[in-house]
Amino acid sequence: MNATSYLRAASTARTRNAVRAGALGAAMAGFILAASPAHADRVEKHFAVQNKPKITVRNSSGRIQVKAWTKSEVLVAWTNAGGKSVVETELAGNRVEVAAQAGEDGNSTDGSKTDFEITVPVESELSVRTDSGNVTVDSVHGDMTFDTVGANLQLTDVNGYMVVKTIDGSLVCNRCSGKLEANSISGNVQMIQPSLDSVRVQTSSGNILFDGSFSSRGIYIMKNFSGTIEVHFSSSDSFDVAANSLKGDVINQASFKPDTHGTPRPASKWGHGFFGTMNEGHAKVELSSFSGTIKILKRD
Amino acid sequence: MVCEQFERILEQQDDDTLPKPALDHLETCEACRALSADFYAIHDMALELGAEGIAPPERVWISLRNQLEAEGLIYGDLQAAPQPVYNSGPGWWTVFQRPAVAGAFLGIVLAAASAVSYLSNFPQTAVQSEATLQQETSSVPSADSVFKEEVLTVGNDSIPGLQRQDTAVSDSIRRNLQIVDNFIAICEKNVREQPDNQMAREYLYGAYQQKAELLATAMNRSMTGGLQ
Repeated sequence: MNATSYLRAASTARTRNAVRAGALGAAMAGFILAASPAHADRVEKHFAVQNKPKITVRNSSGRIQVKAWTKSEVLVAWTNAGGKSVVETELAGNRVEVAAQAGEDGNSTDGSKTDFEITVPVESELSVRTDSGNVTVDSVHGDMTFDTVGANLQLTDVNGYMVVKTIDGSLVCNRCSGKLEANSISGNVQMIQPSLDSVRVQTSSGNILFDGSFSSRGIYIMKNFSGTIEVHFSSSDSFDVAANSLKGDVINQASFKPDTHGTPRPASKWGHGFFGTMNEGHAKVELSSFSGTIKILKRD
Repeated sequence: MVCEQFERILEQQDDDTLPKPALDHLETCEACRALSADFYAIHDMALELGAEGIAPPERVWISLRNQLEAEGLIYGDLQAAPQPVYNSGPGWWTVFQRPAVAGAFLGIVLAAASAVSYLSNFPQTAVQSEATLQQETSSVPSADSVFKEEVLTVGNDSIPGLQRQDTAVSDSIRRNLQIVDNFIAICEKNVREQPDNQMAREYLYGAYQQKAELLATAMNRSMTGGLQ
């Protein structure tokens, strides 16, 4: 990629993000909102929705718990122990927006920490943005985006296209299915018993763990700078693997045969790594690290 | 007209009318059409947002402008204007005074500067240390350092209406900037030692990109108090 194309790509991505951010800000300012005063007690709001509503949550600090139920209704409950934040909610069509904002003194400190409990229909789309505080999502099926600074994220029994962007928050994905894209700088990423058929995970200094089966049509790309990438496999799994660590080690417990389909690739003269195939080589697994250790371990 | 010329005209333009050669180019070049649309969208959005928003201190814009001019990323028309840059009328520069736009532009500048700096030295010569290069070519503080300073201090400024940033968030951003800076230093060293190592080069690009994204996020979070 030359400098001009790099500039152009960066320009396009950045400007679009800025436009989106600006548009969202302007839209939020124009909303006719049902604003609730700061409250130390629990406040609840109910919103009747149809199939597959979209729920957007904006919070700066505090816990966000999202779980599913079978009702066609979204329940938003919150507590603001410090009493310094204002929670605004909106129902527009099949879209529910929830935003916690710091009070008039402008402080976004402990006083404006807002904890949310949100219950949504099983089939729902989610968009969550928060800075700090943990986010948990249980049993929701639908596309999801998460944008956090330091908030940790735990997804359990979720299904959909999940996009996670965090600076140093961790991601734990328990029994997730669908597709996962996650980017972090120092957060760890764990995928436990996943049924994911597309994984693109990148973290700089965090660790990555994948402990599950590889779908026959799956593509799994895991990359970090330092830290450990650990992949657990069973002897019945079928995948091609390319693993390479420029400065770190690659520890492999699998008996791979040479890649029988695809273009033969010469071994890299830099770092440690290998290519190989397990059984028929249906899934594609790419593991890459700059100075971290890559472990390909047999599951007990 | 080629795309580079078009970009230059787009940057220098002070009103909404492009010269005919540029308009002709637009009709035939999809990429430039998209770029132009993005610029106009930013411009319109900035105007819509009005003048009541919070602008960073003057010295940021002055330093940034000096640096951008020194790097050849903006050109003479702006330089010739007698008034201070933060008050330079309807030109593109006004657009960059909006926080979201500034964050986005910062990302572009950093990515471009990093890529250009790197590519200009590779592969003919070994990659020169970024710090050494800056010392040799410019006495103006780098855009990177100016913005980093502002990102890390703006949360403590008592600007009316600007929300103070959560300490944990500031700490997190500081810590991760340090991590990314370290990675960049390691990657640069590696590329200098092994210029034909494609993997090291890819990691270096990735680290630059990550830094630009992190700074844009930091600006965004800082200016909006965590919400937008």
